[in-house]
Amino acid sequence: MSHGIAASQKNPSNGKIKILLMGNPNVGKSVVFSKLTGVHVDSSNYAGTTVDYTVGDINFGNKQGIMIDVPGTYSLEATSEAEKVAVALLEENADVIICVLDATHLERNLDLAYQLKEYPIPIVYSLNLMDVAGRQGIKIDVDKLSEELGSPVVPTISIKNIGLRELMEVAIESSKKQVEPGPKLEDQERWDKIREIANKVQSQVDREITFIQKLENWTVQPWPGIPIALLVLIASLGVVVGGGKALRAVILLPLVRQVIMPFLSKLISFIVPAGVFRNVLVGEFGILVIGIEWPFALILPYVFLFYAVFSFLEDSGYLPRIGVLADGILRRIGIQGGNIIPMMLGYGCAVPAILGTRAANSNKERIMVATLVSFAVPCASQSGAFFALLGDRSIFSLIFVYALSILAMLAVGVILNKMITGRSQPLLLEVPNLLLPDKDAFKKKLKLRMKHFLVDAEGPMLIGIVIAAVIAETGILNEISKAIGPFVQGWLGLPKEASLSLLLGIIRRELAVLPLLEMNLNTLQLTVGSVVALFYLPCLSVFAVLTKEFSLKVALLIGLITTASAFLFGGIINHIGSFIIGFMG
Amino acid sequence: MPLAYGQKSSTYRIESLPSSHLLKVLGFREGTQFTVQSKQPFKGPIVVKIGNRSIAIDYDVASEILVEEVGHH
Ligand SMILES: Nc1nc2c(ncn2[C@@H]2O[C@H](COP(=O)(O)OP(=O)(O)O)[C@@H](O)[C@H]2O)c(=O)[nH]1
Repeated sequence: MSHGIAASQKNPSNGKIKILLMGNPNVGKSVVFSKLTGVHVDSSNYAGTTVDYTVGDINFGNKQGIMIDVPGTYSLEATSEAEKVAVALLEENADVIICVLDATHLERNLDLAYQLKEYPIPIVYSLNLMDVAGRQGIKIDVDKLSEELGSPVVPTISIKNIGLRELMEVAIESSKKQVEPGPKLEDQERWDKIREIANKVQSQVDREITFIQKLENWTVQPWPGIPIALLVLIASLGVVVGGGKALRAVILLPLVRQVIMPFLSKLISFIVPAGVFRNVLVGEFGILVIGIEWPFALILPYVFLFYAVFSFLEDSGYLPRIGVLADGILRRIGIQGGNIIPMMLGYGCAVPAILGTRAANSNKERIMVATLVSFAVPCASQSGAFFALLGDRSIFSLIFVYALSILAMLAVGVILNKMITGRSQPLLLEVPNLLLPDKDAFKKKLKLRMKHFLVDAEGPMLIGIVIAAVIAETGILNEISKAIGPFVQGWLGLPKEASLSLLLGIIRRELAVLPLLEMNLNTLQLTVGSVVALFYLPCLSVFAVLTKEFSLKVALLIGLITTASAFLFGGIINHIGSFIIGFMG
Repeated sequence: MPLAYGQKSSTYRIESLPSSHLLKVLGFREGTQFTVQSKQPFKGPIVVKIGNRSIAIDYDVASEILVEEVGHH
């Protein structure tokens, strides 16, 4: 849905209701949104900004309409992009505002709550996270708060679906009211007023400190926060690598190799006469053989598990804590700690990682993070390919490749920091509560991410595989191998068929690795091939995103640097490795 | 004293601070009281607790916030 559609519905006379969902960041707004809206949810970019917002349909009783999930903001002073979008959406008018408040941080939330009263739109407040407030011993007098704010306040526990029905009923009821805009208060006046309200309605009873509260404290201390962070990362890695391997070995590979493929080959050999065309379909590099086995058996399990783990960590409020702990080190290479989140997302896919740098960062940081991710962070698909290639044959090479990727990132970070002028934005963030993620919101997010992967990645991958099949089975590959073979054999020490990797690697990162699977390489060759693939060109989709977000020049430059380093490192490792082997043998 | 030199578990009151919108909306104003929750190695951020909220502040920004100690526990 585009900005235009949301805007065109501002006239309520068509009987449809338009609800703005607003609130501070991390108050549970997305959970409220995902529970109140139907299946037609769409996110779009607000014209002229880098901010996305989401629109969903509502169908409540006999009332239809739309709900707009306005970007979370602390205030309405239009000093950040998110605030500008929030103000613009408010000025487009609406029938009612649902303002979500975090009951555990009432005073801070009241700032926005109070500023909203300056608009002539009825407001309903959802006092959310009531369960957490209860656990922390915070008591809020809901009636008094509603009296002070001059609008209904509905207590909610959105992840348990408690209070949301009533919230909607009250919102629809309120939408019929006409309201006068409240007076515009000076900052200091408003803050005094808010403090007064908070003191009046809120009381704190002493509770024993809960385990979660202890954990919240530990995870922002260097000790034991850093060991905890390492444990979390190792556990995540274990789930993705171990779980992926298990899924692959126990379910997917047997299914593909023993059931689907024999069936397909039989089927094809009935229909298609033996010859080039049959080979293209079910030959060694056949489209159907590889087109099914590679994406579904080798890549998909890792991608799925990566996004499951990442979405879980993201929704639990844990990731900003890693950002806080890592800030000291990341600042050495000129980027602030918060960037560790898009960089971690890069281990899933570089495209969302690069888009993820949009909102909060300076231009320098955006280019740096985009370059680092394109350069040395293997995406989940490529990691899946590495595990398939190296996992069984050489754990040493596998560790070597990942260690090299981290070292290379640090080195390139230091260099880029010197080369690119500008400053990084200082870290300044409210560390969110640690909370168990909501199942519905988690499922919706994971579904969206897998959909993006299947649409964006599998298409190009299949195209790549078709090209591979055609050039391998028709003899074109031999011609190309003859041309770049000397370089591949001489400098990199790989068999000349490895040219195929370089060719396909332009399309997708994992395609630079997977052809090596079929070549019977020794450990040194496996390592060289993997290192080349690691640093080699980012894939076509990344190239497109880099061009769109920065410029063609930046994209080409990144492509050039990455490819040059790939061949440089690959060649050096080959020669040093051969020398050592020769020396020892 | 700049907040960057603050001690863990000590409580401070803000005397003066740079004008920054984000600082303001996060609740940092003259007179605001908070406790230092943690400090990070390599001049990483200072995490402070205002009420029951934890807020991480960049080391350089914390160097520009002047505070007065009001208690220690
Ligand atoms: N315990 C509890 N957790 C909640 C509640 N509402 C939201 N959450 C959790 O709070 C976290 C932040 O919610 P989210 O909707 O992502 O916040 P947003 O930034 O406002 O959209 C998530 O982990 C939610 O699962 C609630 O009422 N109770």
